[in-house]
Amino acid sequence: MKKRWPMTVNTIRYLYRVIGYTLLLAATNVGLQAAESVRNGKQVYDTACGACHTAGVLQAPRLGNQEDWIAREKQGFEVLLSHAIKGFKNMPAKGGNPTIKDKEIENAINYMLAASGFDQYAQNPVKKEAAKETQQPLAADKKEPVKKTQTSSVNQFNRLMQPSSEWNPAPAKDGIHDPESPGTLLLQEPKVAFDSLSKSKSGNRVDWVKALQGNEITPRYDRLSDDASPVIMDLNIVREVKGSMPDVVYPHKQHTEWLDCSNCHPAIFIPQKGANQISMASILLGQSCGVCHGKVAFPVSECRKCHSKQKPVATESSNQASN
Amino acid sequence: MFKNGKCIFIAFILSLLATPIMVAAEYGDVLINNYSDEAGMRPVVFPHWFHRIRFRCKVCHADLGFKMEAGGNQINMLKIIDGEYCGACHNGEVAWAVENCDICHTGKPGQPTQVHQSTASKLTTTTKRKQAESVE
Repeated sequence: MKKRWPMTVNTIRYLYRVIGYTLLLAATNVGLQAAESVRNGKQVYDTACGACHTAGVLQAPRLGNQEDWIAREKQGFEVLLSHAIKGFKNMPAKGGNPTIKDKEIENAINYMLAASGFDQYAQNPVKKEAAKETQQPLAADKKEPVKKTQTSSVNQFNRLMQPSSEWNPAPAKDGIHDPESPGTLLLQEPKVAFDSLSKSKSGNRVDWVKALQGNEITPRYDRLSDDASPVIMDLNIVREVKGSMPDVVYPHKQHTEWLDCSNCHPAIFIPQKGANQISMASILLGQSCGVCHGKVAFPVSECRKCHSKQKPVATESSNQASN
Repeated sequence: MFKNGKCIFIAFILSLLATPIMVAAEYGDVLINNYSDEAGMRPVVFPHWFHRIRFRCKVCHADLGFKMEAGGNQINMLKIIDGEYCGACHNGEVAWAVENCDICHTGKPGQPTQVHQSTASKLTTTTKRKQAESVE
């Protein structure tokens, strides 16, 4: 019986220590993620740029190799900065990591130029300033996040809604792309593509119908031709719904701008009045409208986009008239 | 008996486990892993958004015969090279050709085929999670 309890005082102490360190480290992990420090050029280079700019992957100008940089440096710092932030040819925007701040990109370019023989960038006041900035927050790292949570508003707690800073993550950060894959860094970031498009509050955070109607995008209707134009059918179908929700207005117009009749008829919807039983339950599970809405077309959380026709309000006079 | 360094190391590993891994794929991204894992390739991530900027739904879903169901199309490289499915455009004429394996096969290995951020998957995964918890 004595030997069944192998926990000596030492092991218990040890376990307490492990738990203590775990909590401390977990707190610093979270703290580091939340810390709003600006890293200096070398720090940014080591975490992001170096992956390509050390070996010259995809013709990236190499660190310490002045020849690679001469033509680029001639374009001026502003051009380099804009290419690095927005992406240019093989250079993905912010090196594929949108969490890097613009200021940090600036620091990284200064660092790379200085290390590649352009001494004037080493003297750049921006860099000195950055170095000062980085030293302070590093020391304050542990305290900062705590302060933040204390001063934040009570409404910041929201378990289910993504904050806008997490919308449209870069491929390398989205959890399904393999950051190790060489292809991942070559992909365009959704944020960059969506920048000029009409916004919406859900899905891709893009209002695709508005974007199409406003000629913000000109997707082809034919695989090979830019000229083919869709056969648009302008017919609204009103579906009366039970309960207090407004009736559904289904616009053929917006659908035929994107789709062919055969996409929906007759497999998903029988083209005949009253022939289709549609319920929110089936839509939520991916049937009828849910074949697209809730997967690629705007999600079903946008109730009023479909339920858009107010029911006639029954007034006393109309009741009397009908009686 | 136990040294501090070892202690910190174990704690570090545990703290990493406690840090959540976020999946925040773009709405409509389709992960296709019908055959990739078996073949030792990374699964494919199909970005709907990128394609709908360039083509209307009709082109792929009516003209090219893509079923509107994740994993519902038995796409393999032979068919693509023969000009079916992705190969209708990814042939070096309309879009870049099949030798750029790594641009499509970018997914983390071992993930299931699915449309990401879909309402249906959110609903069913929650149910499954609850079921699993109740069994335990």
